[in-house]
Amino acid sequence: MKQSAVDAVIRGLKKAGVSIVCYLPDSLFKELYPALDADPDIRTIRVTNEGEGAAICGGVFLSGQRAALVMENSGLRASVEPLARMGLGAGIPVVMLMSYRGELGENNWWAIPHGITMEPVLDALRIPYRIVREEEAIERAIVDAYAWSYASYYHSAIALGGEVVR
Amino acid sequence: MKRYDCMTALGARLKDELVILSLGGSVDEWYNAAPHMRAASLFQQQLGCVTPQAFGLAAGLPHRRIVSLDTDGGLLFNLGILATLGNEQPKNLFVVVWDNERYQSIGGPPTHTAFGRVDLAAIARGAGVEHAYTARTVEEFDAHCEAGLKADAPYIIVAKVDGILQPGIKRKHSDGREDKYIFVRHVETTEGIIIMGPSEHN
Repeated sequence: MKQSAVDAVIRGLKKAGVSIVCYLPDSLFKELYPALDADPDIRTIRVTNEGEGAAICGGVFLSGQRAALVMENSGLRASVEPLARMGLGAGIPVVMLMSYRGELGENNWWAIPHGITMEPVLDALRIPYRIVREEEAIERAIVDAYAWSYASYYHSAIALGGEVVR
Repeated sequence: MKRYDCMTALGARLKDELVILSLGGSVDEWYNAAPHMRAASLFQQQLGCVTPQAFGLAAGLPHRRIVSLDTDGGLLFNLGILATLGNEQPKNLFVVVWDNERYQSIGGPPTHTAFGRVDLAAIARGAGVEHAYTARTVEEFDAHCEAGLKADAPYIIVAKVDGILQPGIKRKHSDGREDKYIFVRHVETTEGIIIMGPSEHN
């Protein structure tokens, strides 16, 4: 990611009131994670899998602070169980920011499943999402996701793809 | 050791704490053993989510003591949280693992702790949670509650309990959604904050 895109993500998170970020690092966001770690206004929590991160974010919601789950889109599959239970069972929202692995242009065979499954998994969970491929749309997309999740008390997702992450 | 007796001992020590609770028989038992903690307890019934949610709550409210009432099946579902706790070292998180060595809510088939090899407290210590212990008597359990509720490091007590549900107790009627509202309103009131506030327009 370009530094300007990293800055846009962090601006969006701060504008949305996020103070805690749970993440499992990936390669497309590799510049974002150290920037989050270094930011004095954001506490980062490194997790062992994205489902654990989703559950921690759910706990942060209950505290009144705002959390984000940052990950590769493959992490969505690892998060399905806690997302379904928290979101559909209790109305505890998690806002996700994912890198879009496996979209057209992908040249790694192992990433193809991530692209094929991301949107159907989001649709199966009835999670609204926005795919952002232009840097100037990042900040607004993040703020919009939080506005929606804090009105619906349900999950939402932003996937960053295209030139934003490559 | 009976889980209900442990819950009664733990409940007597709680007042301002917040509790995240696992699924299964422990839900109705906690509802009866600690009635003064009902609004302060989130009855979530989510396998693998309980201690991670409690940690998230502890991270968001670092001045408040958070109690996770997890289970052997629930913790085994996501052992990774132990490594996260080992690295993060939350000062305000007390975890109880009700280890009855079975998936009680579906009739009692064994979990991996039933065969004498898997030691959840040892796994926790290996993951970096120094204060992780196993209790086999109510007296042991209660002593760990006293220590764990005032510790300034994560504290895990694995309570080896039998699989016999407390007879004759009242069933909790509410579902996960109602429980969340009750819990969030309790957090809002006791913290003086707004979590689920009014919409822009009526």
